[in-house]
Amino acid sequence: MILFDFDYERADTLEQAVALLARLQGDARALAGGTDLLPGMRMENIRPGLLVSLSGIEPEAPQVLADGSIRIDALTRLATLENSELVRRVVPMLAQSAHVVGGNQIRQMGTLGGNLCQEVRCLHLDQKHDYQFVAPCYKRGGTCCYPFPRNAPEVCWSVYMSDIAPALIALNAQVEILGETGTRRIDVEALFTGNGLKPLALSQAELLRAVLIPAAAPGFTWGFHKSTVRGGLEFGMAVLAVALQLAEDGRTCTDARIVVGAVREGPVRPVAAERSLIGKTLDEERMEQAAADTSRVVNPLPHHGFSKRHLMDNIRVHLRRTLARALQRARDQEAGR
Amino acid sequence: MSKHRVTATVNGDAVEFLCETGETLLEALRDELQLTGTKEGCGTGDCGACSVMLDGRLVCSCLVLGVEAQGKTIETVEGMAKGDELHPLQRKFLEHAALQCGICTPGMLISARALLERNPDPTEEEVRYWLAGNLCRCTGYHKIVEAVLDAAREMRGA
Ligand SMILES: Cc1cc2nc3c(=O)[nH]c(=O)nc-3n(C[C@@H](O)[C@@H](O)[C@H](O)COP(=O)(O)OP(=O)(O)OC[C@H]3O[C@@H](n4cnc5c(N)ncnc54)[C@H](O)[C@@H]3O)c2cc1C
Ligand code: SF4
Ligand code: FES
Ligand code: FES
Repeated sequence: MILFDFDYERADTLEQAVALLARLQGDARALAGGTDLLPGMRMENIRPGLLVSLSGIEPEAPQVLADGSIRIDALTRLATLENSELVRRVVPMLAQSAHVVGGNQIRQMGTLGGNLCQEVRCLHLDQKHDYQFVAPCYKRGGTCCYPFPRNAPEVCWSVYMSDIAPALIALNAQVEILGETGTRRIDVEALFTGNGLKPLALSQAELLRAVLIPAAAPGFTWGFHKSTVRGGLEFGMAVLAVALQLAEDGRTCTDARIVVGAVREGPVRPVAAERSLIGKTLDEERMEQAAADTSRVVNPLPHHGFSKRHLMDNIRVHLRRTLARALQRARDQEAGR
Repeated sequence: MSKHRVTATVNGDAVEFLCETGETLLEALRDELQLTGTKEGCGTGDCGACSVMLDGRLVCSCLVLGVEAQGKTIETVEGMAKGDELHPLQRKFLEHAALQCGICTPGMLISARALLERNPDPTEEEVRYWLAGNLCRCTGYHKIVEAVLDAAREMRGA
């Protein structure tokens, strides 16, 4: 039961939803699968005056466009992404990143748009507050931060934990955003502000309509890893997504995109480490070095009981392995396996 | 808080109930329709005790608003047995002693049935990954996994 008052409207189209959201501005939210929003409302971290339900809008099926790029409706359920024959064939990294989200119940209800727009997390934030009798933290409009009391005022070190966003950024994907005045298109990477208090660069009356992923060029290979303790139904300790472009020799890297998720207020791209790979032969040593550099520049926030030191080690080890697996994948493909 | 009139199909029966905007489908099922088979463990999507089928999708009913059920088809654990005849999964859960306190059981059964409908011959690993969203604090899972595999065998007629 959600104990505060709010209104509920059902939208038949995304345009209608945007118009409804615009009417109430800051106090209205779209309800897609509800798997992130409802727990947040129950804990009263989010107290919208109006929910605009998108559940009556049927998402379009994923489709390959004339230029070879793939377009995926933002209302697509994660289970559809995970199981779609087209998505698995054309963008296997996206299917993989959807497959590792939460449990089945979350994937069958949760949507792509809701996954990208999910709230940041923090052990203090994500619990019932009404019986704790402590002042609210910055994120809840208060004047302190419990886990990081020595931070400068208004600095919130909550962590953005989407498994899918890192994969999409590695794939150089864009999002189509519908607002009151029409649609705009930005890189998925540009969706994140890096500020825990307002993690998304979206206004209240803007909705994601679709995700567009460019076609893979010959020589493309990828690696994805969600680092976990249990291996099911848990948020990542760190999420690593790697997209490499290899020259014909299969070892020289001509382009690299590395993304680390679930360790900061938004996904992080270690640009210097990416550059250190370009034009080079990817041997053990070079990958080890790039992984070590990444773990330093990403500067993970301690979260959910994991220390910064532990997360740095985790990123270093798993990024090296993820890079190696990407190379191996390219070799397997070459060999027709 | 305003009340909404919701019509839906639950276990094959047309139903009508009133629910408040903030009421979840779980609460509507238990408190308005007296279908108390579906349990609440956490209320935040973590435990799966509240699992039901909503228009063929396995969902946590604690993460769905009651008003969202308008016009939808819902299946709960009460609809699994045919009269006195238990569903093979229910029978195998008893035979394998795959429950202790029983709070997770309705969710486990609904979730396991959804798996077997999609994949009649799952491996042990597939069963475990599929049931990851259903927590059990008593059994240690082993007997549950065995019961599901055994039920799958029987349902395939193997
Ligand atoms: C137990 C549990 C485990 C989870 N585990 C994981 C995990 O391992 N990895 C992970 O990544 N996530 C996890 N999640 C978060 C999960 O909620 C998201 O992954 C899910 O995809 C959210 O989608 P939704 O449609 O349910 O979003 P909703 O809850 O409906 O919405 C979330 C937010 O996005 C906004 N929104 C929704 N759709 C749009 C749109 N089209 N445009 C703009 N804004 C929109 C909403 O207004 C809201 O603010 C977990 C959640 C739970 C409860
Ligand atoms: S990190 Fe952010 S959400 Fe967590 S207690 Fe501090 S201000 Fe609040
Ligand atoms: S009560 Fe719904 S998942 Fe726990
Ligand atoms: S039998 Fe008690 S929680 Fe599973």
